[in-house]
Amino acid sequence: MSIEVREITKKFSRYPALDNVSLKIETGELIALLGPSGSGKTTLLRIIAGLEFPEDNKSRVLFEGTDVTQLTAYKRHAGFVFQHYALFSHMSVFENVAFGLRVQKRHLRPSKDAIRTRVLELLDAVQLSGFEKRLPSQLSGGQRQRVAFARALAIEPQVLLLDEPFGALDTKVRKELRRWLREFQDRIKLTTLFVTHDQDEAFEVSDRVVLIDKGKVQQIGTPDEVRKNPANRFVAEFLDLPWSDPAVPAIA
Amino acid sequence: MAGAASTFPTVARVERPAGATAEPWLLRATLIGIVFVFFVLFLFLPLLVVFKEAFAKGLPVFLAAFQDDAARSAIKLTLLAAGIAVPLNTIFGIAAAWALTRFDFPGRPILITLIDLPLWISPVVGGLIYVLVFGAQGWFGPWFIDHGIRIIFAVPGIALATIFVTFPFVARGLIPLMQAQGTKEEEAALSLGANGWQIFWRVTLPKIKWGLLYGIILCNARAMGEFGAVTVVSGGVRGRTNTIPLHIQTLYEEYQFAAAFAVASLLCVLALLTLVIKTYAEWRAEQQLAEAARAPESLSTLNSQPSTSR
Repeated sequence: MSIEVREITKKFSRYPALDNVSLKIETGELIALLGPSGSGKTTLLRIIAGLEFPEDNKSRVLFEGTDVTQLTAYKRHAGFVFQHYALFSHMSVFENVAFGLRVQKRHLRPSKDAIRTRVLELLDAVQLSGFEKRLPSQLSGGQRQRVAFARALAIEPQVLLLDEPFGALDTKVRKELRRWLREFQDRIKLTTLFVTHDQDEAFEVSDRVVLIDKGKVQQIGTPDEVRKNPANRFVAEFLDLPWSDPAVPAIA
Repeated sequence: MAGAASTFPTVARVERPAGATAEPWLLRATLIGIVFVFFVLFLFLPLLVVFKEAFAKGLPVFLAAFQDDAARSAIKLTLLAAGIAVPLNTIFGIAAAWALTRFDFPGRPILITLIDLPLWISPVVGGLIYVLVFGAQGWFGPWFIDHGIRIIFAVPGIALATIFVTFPFVARGLIPLMQAQGTKEEEAALSLGANGWQIFWRVTLPKIKWGLLYGIILCNARAMGEFGAVTVVSGGVRGRTNTIPLHIQTLYEEYQFAAAFAVASLLCVLALLTLVIKTYAEWRAEQQLAEAARAPESLSTLNSQPSTSR
């Protein structure tokens, strides 16, 4: 499913978190929202998820061309993985993954057996078979992250939104999960957006990178394009690339 | 006591190294001694006296104190008042804790302070407020009396006064817990397609249940034991508007000491029971609070575990 945001503006007590942001993501793309902390990238992700709302009338969020700006998260059907996982601490791994299925309206809700089959399949897909009775507090960081993935995927979302998905993990687990995400995405072609402040992560995993700073999109492009032609001073400095401003002729 | 004095300092010495904060053992033993004396003198002995006096004239007199119509009516009224006040304050407490921890709005800090008002104000004043508002000479009193509804010197007044006095307990128990837990899990539930009602029952309530029980238990104990506020609005009509505490006072003033203490022992048993449940709920609530506090920073400790992705 394609995602489009148009002229999104969001203010947090006067200072703009997002300033007139427009962006289009094609079906099946894996996109990284890259920027320093406080740049507004997480806010953009949360607006797409329906966890936050832009306040002016021009802002629009479209899923596959349909305006979903006014829909809250629970009607948008977007899988969201939180930075600190936000697993339900009082529920087992099984119940965590089953949650999105159990809260569906009665006529849509799968049968008990169907839920069980689906949850076990998902746990197998994230390599956590046999962990279904554990509580989140009995898992390592990487395992929790994978439960969070399985939980988000259980509702068969049309789009997957990841907020700093690997930010809290150590380097080794992080690299493994990165590769896993890329392979997973290649397999099921689910439109995916993930927020990160780590450029290696963004460049290694994504099809296109969106660089954000001070609430504005600074550049959109494939990793190669961005690295070869940084659009402005911010992009160059953020990516540690040499920068000469074309507007100011170099002094010979 | 001699044994205690010699063991305490040794235990303390093992637990922490002698440093700038380590007081001489004599001082420590004296302080601990004072605490024990106070505890025995002001808490334990009075409790003992209540039970001793209750049975002073034997079991038949003790039991007779509860056979009396006035006593039965007082127990019924107390149960009724608590039965009205506790559920209402539970609903209010959850709503208040929810609003105060989940939303940011102007006046929020003032509301948090105001919730405590019934704890700081004299209960008698609390009762007088309702007399002023609903009494025969009060603002709305004449209107209600014209319509045949008695509030002051009747059950509604007693319930109102009880609600006022027990108002803070549930909210107080929940606010710190809900503040520490934050809204991440609720957001996750929302993104998974749960509606507000499902989020409350499946996510929020299980996380706050022990804090909630703690608040309800304290609220109930206070509701059943309240004297000051109820005394003002009840008028103390024996067998009609007397609650248990008021009934005890009536008995005492009539020199029926054994009966007074017998009924008082009922309140003491309630208090002890409350203490046991409260301690358990408090312990579980602290566990929930600790889990909430541990969650965000737990990652660094978990990362030190051997990598588990296979």
